[in-house]
Amino acid sequence: MLKKFYTYLTVVLLLVFTASFVQAQDTQVSGTILDETGMPLPGVSILLKGTTRGTTTDLDGKYSIAAPADGVLVFSFIGYNNIEETVGSRSKIDLTLTPDVSNLDEVVVVGYGTQKKSQLTGAISSVGNKEIQELPITDARQALQGRAAGVDVVQPGSKPGSAPQVRIRGRRSFNASNEPLYVIDGIPTVGGLEDINPQDITSMEVLKDASATAIYGSRGSNGVVLITTKRGGAGKTTVSLDSYYGASYELGRIEVFDGPAFAEYKRESRRATGAYPEGPATAEADAKLFEPIELESISLGRSTDYVAGLMQNGNIQSHQVGVSGGNDKTTFFVSGNYFKDLGVIINQDFTRYTFRINLDHKITDKVSIGTSTLFTMSDRNGENFNPIGGALQENPLGKPYDEEGNLIFLPTSDGLRTNPFAEVVPGAQVDETSRTRIFNSIYLNWNITKNLTYRVNFGPDYTVRRNGRFTGSQTNARRGGDATGSVDDRFQFNYTLENILNYSKTFNSVHNLNLTALQSFQKDRFEQTTLDVLGIPAPSQLYHRLGDASQITSANTNLVEWSLLSYMARVNYDYKGKFLLTASARADGSSRFGENNKFGFFPSAALGWNLHQEEFLKNSSFVDQLKFRVSYGSIGNQAITPYQTQALLGRTSYSWDNTAAFGYRPNTIGNPDLRWESSSTFNTGFDFSILKNKIFGSIEYYITNTSDLLAPQPLPNSTGFGGFTTNIGETQNRGIELSLSTLNLERGDFTWSTDMIFTKNQEEIISLPNGDDIAAGRFIGQPLTVFFDLRKIGIWQTAEKDLAASFGDKVGEIKIEDANGDGKINSLDRQILGSAVPDFSFGITNRFAYKGLDVSFFVYGRVGSTIRSQFHNNFNYLFGRYNNLAVDYWTPNNPTNLYPRPNQNQEFPKYNSSMQYFSGTFLKVRNINLGYNFSSTVAKKIGLSSLRLYSSIQNPFIFSEYRKVHKGIDPETFIDGEQGVEGGTINANIAPPVVQYTFGINAKF
Amino acid sequence: MQTMKNLSIKKQIKNLALKGALVLGLLVGQACQDALQEDVISQIGSDYLNTQKGLDDAISAAYSTVRAWYGTERGNNFTEFGTDIYTNGADGSWKFMNTYTNQFDSNNGHVRELWDELYRGINTCNAVIERAPDIPGVSEAVKTQRIAEAKFIRAHHYFLMVQLFGPVELRLEETKVPTKEVSRAPESEIYAAIIQDLSQAIPGLEAKKASSQFGRATRAAAEHLLGRVYVTKGTSTSKASDDFAKAEPLFKNVIANYGLKLLDDFGQVHAFGNEINDEVIWSVQYTRSPLTNGGGNNSHVFFLMEYDTQPGMQRDTENGRPFKRYRPTVYAMETVFQNRENDSRYKKSYKDTYKSNKPGTYNTTFDNSKAKLTFAAGDTTMFLPGYNMTAAERASKPYQVLIPSAYTEKLFPALTKHLDPGRVDRTQFEGGRDYIAMRLADTYLLLAEAQFRQGKIAEATSTINVIRRRAAWPGKETAMEITASDMTFDFLMEERARELTGEQTRWLDLKRWGNLIERVKKYNPQAAPNIKDFHVLRPIPQNQIDRAEGGASSFPQNPGY
Repeated sequence: MLKKFYTYLTVVLLLVFTASFVQAQDTQVSGTILDETGMPLPGVSILLKGTTRGTTTDLDGKYSIAAPADGVLVFSFIGYNNIEETVGSRSKIDLTLTPDVSNLDEVVVVGYGTQKKSQLTGAISSVGNKEIQELPITDARQALQGRAAGVDVVQPGSKPGSAPQVRIRGRRSFNASNEPLYVIDGIPTVGGLEDINPQDITSMEVLKDASATAIYGSRGSNGVVLITTKRGGAGKTTVSLDSYYGASYELGRIEVFDGPAFAEYKRESRRATGAYPEGPATAEADAKLFEPIELESISLGRSTDYVAGLMQNGNIQSHQVGVSGGNDKTTFFVSGNYFKDLGVIINQDFTRYTFRINLDHKITDKVSIGTSTLFTMSDRNGENFNPIGGALQENPLGKPYDEEGNLIFLPTSDGLRTNPFAEVVPGAQVDETSRTRIFNSIYLNWNITKNLTYRVNFGPDYTVRRNGRFTGSQTNARRGGDATGSVDDRFQFNYTLENILNYSKTFNSVHNLNLTALQSFQKDRFEQTTLDVLGIPAPSQLYHRLGDASQITSANTNLVEWSLLSYMARVNYDYKGKFLLTASARADGSSRFGENNKFGFFPSAALGWNLHQEEFLKNSSFVDQLKFRVSYGSIGNQAITPYQTQALLGRTSYSWDNTAAFGYRPNTIGNPDLRWESSSTFNTGFDFSILKNKIFGSIEYYITNTSDLLAPQPLPNSTGFGGFTTNIGETQNRGIELSLSTLNLERGDFTWSTDMIFTKNQEEIISLPNGDDIAAGRFIGQPLTVFFDLRKIGIWQTAEKDLAASFGDKVGEIKIEDANGDGKINSLDRQILGSAVPDFSFGITNRFAYKGLDVSFFVYGRVGSTIRSQFHNNFNYLFGRYNNLAVDYWTPNNPTNLYPRPNQNQEFPKYNSSMQYFSGTFLKVRNINLGYNFSSTVAKKIGLSSLRLYSSIQNPFIFSEYRKVHKGIDPETFIDGEQGVEGGTINANIAPPVVQYTFGINAKF
Repeated sequence: MQTMKNLSIKKQIKNLALKGALVLGLLVGQACQDALQEDVISQIGSDYLNTQKGLDDAISAAYSTVRAWYGTERGNNFTEFGTDIYTNGADGSWKFMNTYTNQFDSNNGHVRELWDELYRGINTCNAVIERAPDIPGVSEAVKTQRIAEAKFIRAHHYFLMVQLFGPVELRLEETKVPTKEVSRAPESEIYAAIIQDLSQAIPGLEAKKASSQFGRATRAAAEHLLGRVYVTKGTSTSKASDDFAKAEPLFKNVIANYGLKLLDDFGQVHAFGNEINDEVIWSVQYTRSPLTNGGGNNSHVFFLMEYDTQPGMQRDTENGRPFKRYRPTVYAMETVFQNRENDSRYKKSYKDTYKSNKPGTYNTTFDNSKAKLTFAAGDTTMFLPGYNMTAAERASKPYQVLIPSAYTEKLFPALTKHLDPGRVDRTQFEGGRDYIAMRLADTYLLLAEAQFRQGKIAEATSTINVIRRRAAWPGKETAMEITASDMTFDFLMEERARELTGEQTRWLDLKRWGNLIERVKKYNPQAAPNIKDFHVLRPIPQNQIDRAEGGASSFPQNPGY
C-alpha cells in the first residue's frame, strides 16, 4: 500500500514540478451576472466551450475563469437563456441573463466533468439551489423528494437527526445495497449526507441511466447523486446571512383508551372468559376485577394521558453566515452554520455545527489547486431511546404522582408497567450520539496543452461517531435494578485517489470530441469499540467511567476494511451538436469478491439526436427544442459486507465451573465464488420545449435487468447454517418518468408556473433458481419484498359459531381466509398481501409571482403501496392488561368486523399479525411557501445588497386512509429495511411527523 | 525561426515524456492488485479448528449449545408446560404450549431457536469428529477424549430431537458446502446413531466422579444418558426386546463405580451455592460473569408467584423475579405431594412463608379474614399452609394466609429449586447457577423403571426405596419405604414427579410412558379440551420445511400441525 502511495506522490510531484515550464496562454476573465431585475444571480454556470473547464457564480453573481482569447464562454442557469461570449481581449464580462422557461442549454455537472444539457445523452435530473433553499430541511436528500423524477425519497416521522431513504428507479437488489452513490465535489462518499449542510449546496444532479452512471462503474447501479457545494468568485467580498426559525407541532397522536374506555375494555376481556358478568358494569363485579387505585380513578372519573405528558412543542432553526470572494489567483467560500432541531418528544433533539472552506488557487495559468473542506460536529439525543411505547401501554387508571407531587414509580400494581414519566426524569435515560467528520476534496488541475488536461483528486474522509447510553435504576428497562451504561465508538477513515486525463478537440469545426480516462483507488477502514456495563455506582457518572461498574457485560472491538480499484475511459462525440454519442467503459476491482472474480467490466453507450437543429424543425414556430436519446449499458453492484467469501468461525462463551471456556465454531459457510451483481439498463427519452418555451420537460422510459443478484440464501438450519450469500436470480425494473414545466399565465408582473414530476416504476423478480422461495419471501412476478401472511377477512360473528369452531376458532376472534380451502388455517394459507413499493408517485409545485412577492406550494403523493403498522400490532394485544389502541373491538353487542374481542387469557389475539396491514397511499401538501424580495433600492437603503423574507408551512396536510380510518398518523415508510425497522413498516417507536411554521431571512451585505 | 522551432520540438518532447510518465503511473497502479487482497483480521477463519487450540475451542463451543435447552424458557416450556403436574400461570406469551391450542404451530419461536442451536452444535461436533484425527501436535489421549465429548454432545442433541420431533435429519458429517438437500431419517436410524455415539464415547471419557474441568462430560454422564436412551427406545416404535436389560447395568455402573452418592438431605441438592455436589453427574455451566454466562440460567423466574405486589412485600433478589409462568396443578399439589408428614419434598420444594421487606400498614388483598395488617421488617406477611385453613383460624394470624381454594394464576406455591439470590440485582434475568441436567437420584429412578419394565418388581422396589428414605423427614425413613405390592407404575410416575418436579423432565417422561394425552386430559384442565393424539410430537420449524429443496414433500411436517 505504501509503495502505491509513493508511486502516486511521485507522479503528482513530477507534474507540479514540470508545470512551471509550460507557457501561459489563458487570461483571467471575471465579471458579475445579474438577473432580469438587476439582482445578482448566484449559481450561474460558466463553461469554456468545448472543454470541461467551468465555474459557477458566487452569491453575489460574481465569477472568475481562466480562458484563452479565442475561447467562448457559455453562461447558463436554470430558467434563463444561455449566452455565449467570445473572450477576445476582455478581462471583464458582465451580463444580464433573461428568463427562459426552457433550460436545455444549462450546463450540468456530470461524472468527471460538466456538460451542456443539450449535449447530454443520459437521463439526469437536476435540483438547483432554489429548490434546496426554499425548504427548511435537515438533510439535503429531503430536497429531492417529489422534485426529481424517478427518485423516491421517504422520511418516516420526525426524529431529529434521522436520515431519509432514497431509492432511484426502484430496487434491484435483494441484499446488496439499493442505496445510491453520493459524490460530493467529485469524491464518492461512504455513508450518508447527514453531515452535509444543505445550505452549502449549490446543485444536486441525479444520474439515473446506465450511460450516465456507468462512469461510476460498480457503485453506479443504484444511481448517483452528484452534489456540488458553493465556491467563491473573484471580486468584492460578500457576506451573506441566512436564518430561519420554525415551530414544530405533532401532526397527530396515536389514540389509546382513556380511563373509562380502558375500564370497559378490561371488563370485556373478562366477560370473554366468563370472569365478569355479562351486561352493564356493576360496582360489585368491578370491586373484584379492579385494584384499589383503579377503582379510585373510576369513581373520581380520573384518567391519565401519559402520551401527552411526554410530548412538547418542538422547533427547528438554522443560522448561517457565508463569506465569499477572492482575486484573480485565489477565490474562496467560507461558511459557518448552526442547526438545531428540537423534537416533539421530550429527550429528542439534534444539533449540528458545520464549517466549510472551499478554496481555489492558481499556481500558474495552467496549474491550479483547490479544496473543499467540511468540518462537522453534531450531537443527537434520543437516537435509540423513545419513551412513547411505554406510555401507549400504561394503564390510564393509574396515578402518576402522589399528593406531594412525587413521581410514583409503579402507578398500578402491575410490576411490568413502570411510570412512563420516570423515563424522562433528567438523568434517567441518556442516549447521546456525537459525530465529528472532516471531509475533503482536494484537487490539482493542470492544463497540459490547450486540449489536454490532467487532474488529480484526493478525498480523505474521517468520521468519528460516539454513542453513549445510560439507563438509570428507576426506568422500565431496569425496574429498580442497577443502572447500566454503554459506549459505542466508531472510527472510519476513507480515502479516494483519482487520476483523470481529459482531451478535448474540435475537428473541422463540426466534429467535437472529448476523451476522458480515469484511474481511481478507494480504501475504507472501519473500527469499532463497544463496552457495556451493569452496576454504575453513582447515576451522576452516566457513561463516563464505565470501569467503576460492578460488571462488564460485554466488551469488543472490530475492524472492517475494503478497497476498490477502477479504470475508466469515456468518449463524448458530437457532430454539429446535432448527433451525439457517449461511450464509456469501466473496470472495477473489489476486495470483497473471491480471487478470480475481483474484477468486473461495465460498458455503456448512448446516442442523442437534437431534432430541432434539423432543417424540417429549425424554423418551426411550435417546437423550440426536441431531443431524442437512447442508451444501453451495464453496471455492477458490490455492496455486500466484506468477508462473505470466507468461511469464518463464531465465538461462543461457556465455562468450566468459573473458568472461562470461550469457544469457536463454524459460523458462516463462505462462498468463494461470489461475483459482481450486474444491471443492464436500456433507457430512451425525449427532451422537449414548445410554444416559445412555455412548456418544456422530458419523458423517460427504461428497463433495467439485474442478474447474478447478491442475495442471502436461507439454508435449512439442519445443515448447521441459516444461510449464505450467493449470486442468484434476476430482477427487472421498468418505468416511465415524466418531468414537465409549464408557464401557465404571464400577465404584466404576474406569473404562474408549474413543475410536475411523475414516476412509475414496476419492480419485479424475473427468475429464481428454484422458483418461488417462500423461506426468503421471494416470489416471481412480485416486487423484491412483499408482505406474505394470513389474510384477515373479519371477525367471527355469533351466528358463525359452528363454522368458527371447525377452524379451531371462537366467536369474536379474527376470521382468516382459508386460502387453500382445506378447512384448516395454517402456514399454507399465507398469501401475498401487498408490497411497500408504490405503483406511482408524483410531485407538483405551483409558483405564483407578483413583483417581489412569490407564493408556492408543493404537493406530493404515493399511490398503491401496502404498509405494516407496528402500532396495530405492538399496542393492540387486547388482553385487558396493558392499555391498547382505541380500536373498535368486537363484543356480542357490537358485531364489528374490525378488531377481535379482548380476552384476558391471551397475550395477544390469535392471528394478530393479520391486523397490521393497510393501504400506504397518501397525498401530502409538503410545503407552502410565501416570500418577498425587497427591491435593490430598498435593500441598499438599509445597507444591504439584497434582502428576502419568507415564511413557510411544512407538512400541513396528509390525506390517507391509514390516517382517516385507522387513526394512524402518517403512512410514509421506508421501502427497504433500515434503522432497525423492516421495509414498509411503521415503527411503533417513531416520533410522529410534525407540521412546521417557519420564518426566514436571506440577506446579503 | 530555427530557435523557435527547436523550442517547440523540445516542448513536444517534454510533453511526450510527461504523457509517458502519466501512462506509466497508471500502469503501476494496475500492478497493485494486492491492494484488493482481503485479509480477515478481526475474525477467525475456519482452518483454526485444525489446530490444537482450535480443537479445544470447538469442543467448548459444542458444550455451549446445551445452554439452549437447560435453564431457558424454551427448555422449560417444552418440558413443564402441558403436563400433569404443571399448568400455566398468569403471564407469558407461550401459554398455548400448555393449552395445546392451534396457536402452537410451526412458526413457534422456541421450536425454531432450539432446532437451529442444536444443529449448530451438531455441526460443530461433526467438525471435531472429522478433523480431530488429523490435527498435528495433539496427543492421542486428548484426541480420544475430545472426540468422545463431541459424540456425547451429538448424541445428547439427537436424543432430545428424536423425542421432541420424531424423525429428524441425521447429519453426521460437517457441512462444508451450502446445500438445501435435507430429509428426515427414520427414528430407528437416529436411535442407532445415538447408541453408537454413546457406546464409542464411554471408553474415551474420564472415569471420574467429576472432570477436573467441572462440567465436561464423564463416563458416568454418558452411561446415564445411554441408559435413558435405552429406556426411552424401549417404549418407542424402534424398541427392541433387550432395551431395558441393556439399560440396567449402565445405571448400576453410574451408581457403583465413580464415587457419586445421594446427598443426605434432599433440600441440599438444589440449595443455593451447593451446585457442585456429590449427586451431580453432569450439570450445564452458568457463571456470575456476563462475559461467560451467555443468556444465563433463567429458571429462577418462571416458577414464582406474584408476591411482590402483596402487602408488606416488594421484589428482591432473595424472593426472586416472579414471572408466574408455571403453576402446579391441583393433581400435583393434592395427590402427588399429598404425604407431607413423612415426605420432606413438598416443604423443601415449595415456598410457604414470605417475610416482609417493605414494612407498613396495608389493606389485605386475598385473605379477607381481616381488613388491615401492619408489618415490621422480617415479619411474616404471607403463609401458604397447603390446606384450606378456616377463616376463623386465619383471622387469628397476623399475616395473610393463602389457602389452596384462593390459589389463582398469580398466587400459588412457588418452586424454590431454582431461586437465585446471587444475581447482582433484583432485575437481572441471567442467573448464574449451574443447571443440574443429570443427577444420581434420577439414575435410581430410571434404574427402577428399567427393572420394573423387566418385571423385576423386588429390585425396583428396593431401588426406589433408596430415594424414598433420603426424602424422609428425620426419623420417618421406615415409614417412607414401600413394599413390592405398592410398586406400581402409577407409583413410579408419581415418585418421579415428587423427586424431579421442575427439572425439565416431565413432558419427556410422559411421552416415554405413552400416556401424555391421557394424563394431561385427566390432570391439566387448561390443556384437556385441546390436546390431541398428534401432540406427542412437536411441530417441525416452518423455515426448515420452507428452505428444504422440495419443501414439504422432502421434509414433511409432523401430522396435525
